[in-house]
Amino acid sequence: MRVVGGVTLVALAAGLVMAFGVAPREMTQGNVQRIMYLHVPSVWVAYLAFAVVLVASIVYLARGLEGADRLAHASAEVGVLFTGLTIATGSIWGKPTWGIWWTWDARLTSVSILFVMYLGYLLLRGMIEDPDQGARYAAVVGIVAAFNIPLVHFSVYWWRTLHQPPSLMKPGPGTMPGVIVAALMVNFVAFSLLYVYFVAKRVRLLRRESEAAA
Amino acid sequence: MPDNWGFVLAAYGLAAVVLLAYWRRLVRRERALPGQSSRSTARRP
Amino acid sequence: MVWKDLLVERRSKETLNALFFFALLLLFVFQFAVGPDRERLAGTLPGLLWLGFILTGLLGLGRTFVVERENDCWEALRLAPGDKSAIYVGKLAGNLLLMLVVEAILVALFGVFFNLDLAGVLPALAVVIGLGTVAFAAVGTLFAAMTSQVRARELLFPVLLLPVQAPVLLATVKATEAVLLGEPLGSVAHWLKLLAAADVIFVAVGVLTFDFVLEG
Repeated sequence: MRVVGGVTLVALAAGLVMAFGVAPREMTQGNVQRIMYLHVPSVWVAYLAFAVVLVASIVYLARGLEGADRLAHASAEVGVLFTGLTIATGSIWGKPTWGIWWTWDARLTSVSILFVMYLGYLLLRGMIEDPDQGARYAAVVGIVAAFNIPLVHFSVYWWRTLHQPPSLMKPGPGTMPGVIVAALMVNFVAFSLLYVYFVAKRVRLLRRESEAAA
Repeated sequence: MPDNWGFVLAAYGLAAVVLLAYWRRLVRRERALPGQSSRSTARRP
Repeated sequence: MVWKDLLVERRSKETLNALFFFALLLLFVFQFAVGPDRERLAGTLPGLLWLGFILTGLLGLGRTFVVERENDCWEALRLAPGDKSAIYVGKLAGNLLLMLVVEAILVALFGVFFNLDLAGVLPALAVVIGLGTVAFAAVGTLFAAMTSQVRARELLFPVLLLPVQAPVLLATVKATEAVLLGEPLGSVAHWLKLLAAADVIFVAVGVLTFDFVLEG
């Protein structure tokens, strides 16, 4: 655990160095664009987390392994954390860039729906006393939510781009200069490690809490 | 184009605060569990 | 299963009246909220219609399993022999029927109160409403079963259901908008395909996971 924590810290530090020291000042947006090195890896971690929730939920329903349930729970919690962070950083980035704190563009809308779905997941867990039943119900919600994600993406994307000009989002990685991509990659790795560290710690806490209660 | 360092700081600062707070919450809850105080001083194998 | 159908039918008649009056009330509220401004009304009408569907649906579906829980029929359902997913399908069918009836009434009321000419667009409208309602009822039935035993069920049920319904709602409102303007269904084919996909996905998940919901 300590090793993972240590490596994570190093990676995060590297990410910061890349984001501020190495990556160049963006031409159109200025230094505010550096928030991207925080915002984009956050949303990546969120999706990773919820994918894990899906798999863990299915495994739990299929096999009844408590470890799978704990993994789902932990991953959902960390996922919601990073989704919230994504929204917040996206909003902070948006204000100086486009003058508004919020806009219903495709990405922010999708992520908001994601946030509320899995927040509901955590709420459900909190409201059911029987741990076994809570685990099962949460797994079902986790599966429904995950399958809803592609539906959300298509519907919101069509909603925002058909009959409407696409939002002024930054270009995809394909058109970004190498240094920026490299900085982004380093931060991707750093955040992924942070995800692993948090989930591992959370799972361990869950296991020890259930052992203590037994 | 103004640099808006305030916003950059706000974003990174917020992230740092939130992530640190979550980490501390996990650590604190784990320490609160019975039998933990002996663990933290024992040597890990 | 026959017993289930009878049970569903009996309950439906009780709830139908209440939902009808609720729908009527919603209409009044919409009238005050949007006002007599005809132009603004035309723009918001599809949204209002589906808002009406969803609000009445939340009320109607939220109580789907409460009767069972309160009367200890839950155990009976659990111990009944055979495939548990049949219970889900039965409940789903019952809820679907209930919702479609309420929606039909709402559409008629909308037509009357907002002076709409629905004659030509009814078949297309029916398709859109049908597709959208299946998705709503599929997840709604599943979530209703889960939240029926939680103390704060009136809060948790919409909290769980509404975010999941967001894409479906987007699709139905967009499609309804087009239909009410007289456009052919083909122009919103992508929305309809999304709805169909949602229907398949949600019903499948419901059928596959209902066993686990029933265990509790």
